[in-house]
Amino acid sequence: MEKFEDGLKFAYLEVKPVIHTFVFELKKQWKKFVGFLVISVLIVVLQSFILYALFSDSLLPTTHSDYLSGGLIFLTSFIILFASCFFFAGIICAEFSDKTGYILFPKINKYKLIIGKYLGNLFLEAGVIAIFYFLVGFLSYFFYDQFSGTLLIRYFISFVFAFLYMIAMSSFVTFFSSFMRSVNVTIVSTILILFIGFNISQMFLMMLAPEIEPIYSLSYISTLITSILLIEFPDPNYSEISLQNFTFRTWLTPTIEMGLLVLFLYITIGFILAAYLFKRRQL
Amino acid sequence: MMGPVKPGGGFQGQNFLLIFLIIVIIIVVIIIVYFVIKKRKKKKGQEKLREHAYKGIKSREDIKSIYTPTGTSTSENKNEKNDTMIKLENLTKYYGKYLAVDNVSFEVHSGEVIGLVGPNGAGKTTIIKMIAKLLRPSSGRIWVRDNQGELKDLNKKSRNLVKLGFLIDIPAFYKDMTAYQILKYSALLQRYPREKINDRIDELLKIFDLIDWKHEKVKTFSKGMTQKLGMIQSIIHDPEIIILDEPQTGLDPLARIDIRRIIKEFHRNGKTIFVASHMLAEISEVCEKIALINFGVIIAFDTIDNLERGLRTSGLNCKLLDPISPDQLGSIIKKLTERLEPYLDKDLDVLVSKIPIKYIPQKRSFKIFYDTTDSKQTRAEILKILVKEFESDFTVVSFSKPKKSSQLEQIYSRLIAEDKVEIELSKGGVN
Ligand SMILES: Nc1ncnc2c1ncn2[C@@H]1O[C@H](COP(=O)(O)OP(=O)(O)O)[C@@H](O)[C@H]1O
Ligand SMILES: [Mg+2]
Repeated sequence: MEKFEDGLKFAYLEVKPVIHTFVFELKKQWKKFVGFLVISVLIVVLQSFILYALFSDSLLPTTHSDYLSGGLIFLTSFIILFASCFFFAGIICAEFSDKTGYILFPKINKYKLIIGKYLGNLFLEAGVIAIFYFLVGFLSYFFYDQFSGTLLIRYFISFVFAFLYMIAMSSFVTFFSSFMRSVNVTIVSTILILFIGFNISQMFLMMLAPEIEPIYSLSYISTLITSILLIEFPDPNYSEISLQNFTFRTWLTPTIEMGLLVLFLYITIGFILAAYLFKRRQL
Repeated sequence: MMGPVKPGGGFQGQNFLLIFLIIVIIIVVIIIVYFVIKKRKKKKGQEKLREHAYKGIKSREDIKSIYTPTGTSTSENKNEKNDTMIKLENLTKYYGKYLAVDNVSFEVHSGEVIGLVGPNGAGKTTIIKMIAKLLRPSSGRIWVRDNQGELKDLNKKSRNLVKLGFLIDIPAFYKDMTAYQILKYSALLQRYPREKINDRIDELLKIFDLIDWKHEKVKTFSKGMTQKLGMIQSIIHDPEIIILDEPQTGLDPLARIDIRRIIKEFHRNGKTIFVASHMLAEISEVCEKIALINFGVIIAFDTIDNLERGLRTSGLNCKLLDPISPDQLGSIIKKLTERLEPYLDKDLDVLVSKIPIKYIPQKRSFKIFYDTTDSKQTRAEILKILVKEFESDFTVVSFSKPKKSSQLEQIYSRLIAEDKVEIELSKGGVN
């Protein structure tokens, strides 16, 4: 028993620097959090409330789930992307380019440092997403009846997917940050890849090899976040259009298992590679 | 826009434009508000900067309170045998192909104040970064003492090394954080007891005269203030070994004196200090031993007294009217060595020079290291020989021994200069 307690104490001492870093990171980044929060709240209120309140007859989606998925589009296609880039682009490379790391590295194990910083930023970003979800859900009460049981559960699952998608993107950006020289270059290049690169490659794939599902693409995976809200999950998960003797296939959304797997791979591989490169990286 | 069409999304083309416009407006508003706030804050900071005038570090009693003495006093420590705190062993560092630190070995003992002195680019910061584990050595090892008094290889994982404090290069902090936040984080990371942290921070900020700036963001700090903050973070956890890289950079003369006083106070309390500087005068007063470094090579490592003694040797400068042509040089030096043999310095320190007679083309002069046992007599004899027997080879215009006055500074510049000349000569020889 005593041994166990000693073990606990030891573990606590080991974890302490991570906690200190986590708290420090929250203090350091809270301004970004406030910024994203303000933008999110404004967008939600404008898009999901004022717009429908003003033009309720013509614009209001017919079903509750359509309303929700429409309200979440800004989150999935812009907010998560930009938040990940802005919170995480500097997480490693700024320590080198601003030389702030010279003061920290002798004091703390680099793995603990990166874990603390990573968790701190994730916490803030998750806060933005949670508030976004809460607001969209809350505002839907003004236009529809109460959530039906299934839809509420779906809405929660959708939140979990959005959360995982956010972590995957953050890991991806963290990985970039671990070998890039400057914060701005990291922001620009990750936005280009995540926002445009994936979509363009998806388009090429659609033309060249339509039978291959673009599961590598995070933006394709992100469609799960809103399609999970549909009471009838699309099956098959693609639609086909035949033109003369050629068939175009549009992939709508990945299966849930595939989505989870890909997100999990992005999260773990991105972070582990980033941590390793950070550990190895010198000035 | 993002991938395939969202199935059944309530999102039509016409409202997209509307939403987009609204968002652009929001963003513009946010940006304007941000800049207005920023400008107002900046003004406030500048006013404060003006109010702030340097008052200097408080009395010695104040400074004293920032250390826990290490127990044994310095003089006792020196006699102990196994009291090495840091040991560098054949430390070498390449930046790509560039050799920045070349096979450096020395030891720092408990309670010593060691100065690492060399011109800019000599490799001082590189050595310190390797001790701080910011850089991996290309080869060689660094040992640091642990709490049990054993030396541990820095490369291997070991928990309880003696506490080290670092000030590396020009320190840089997170710009948006306050001095207090940064110092608290530093102290917590180094396991300084939480309940004592606030007092400790106040105390140090007072001593360095930054207490008014405790809750100001670091980006409003001047260069000198940032440097002081760097100094504070290096000693916030009361370390046993303090490693300072150019602590005087960016500081005004008064603050420089304060830095020296603080180093002395550390020393008095038995701390081990390793300080790098390109200005010998800044640290010679506080250092017991000096390691002179140039081009990554330690060219001397000794106490200041010994350095002075060793170098006072006896280099005679003998300036000539006309330069000696390279093809004659060999034979003339040979003849000189033969003729002056009885008067030359027999046990010349190789660190000073490898050969007793040197020709320095840039200065158009010979440097002759002579035996100082009967110095006046010897000099007279040498002069006689040079003038009489070498009349046909060259004409002596002046004949001087190095001035004694600004000894240490001269030693430094001379050592470095000679090092350079030798390197240049050897380069010229190769070509
Ligand atoms: N990151 C680096 N990459 C390449 N060369 C470097 C790097 N850092 C330092 N150097 C070179 O190594 C030499 C030693 O530098 P440094 O240790 O900073 O000298 P000091 O601190 O004595 O002025 C210099 O010639 C410098 O140009
Ligand atoms: Mg330097």
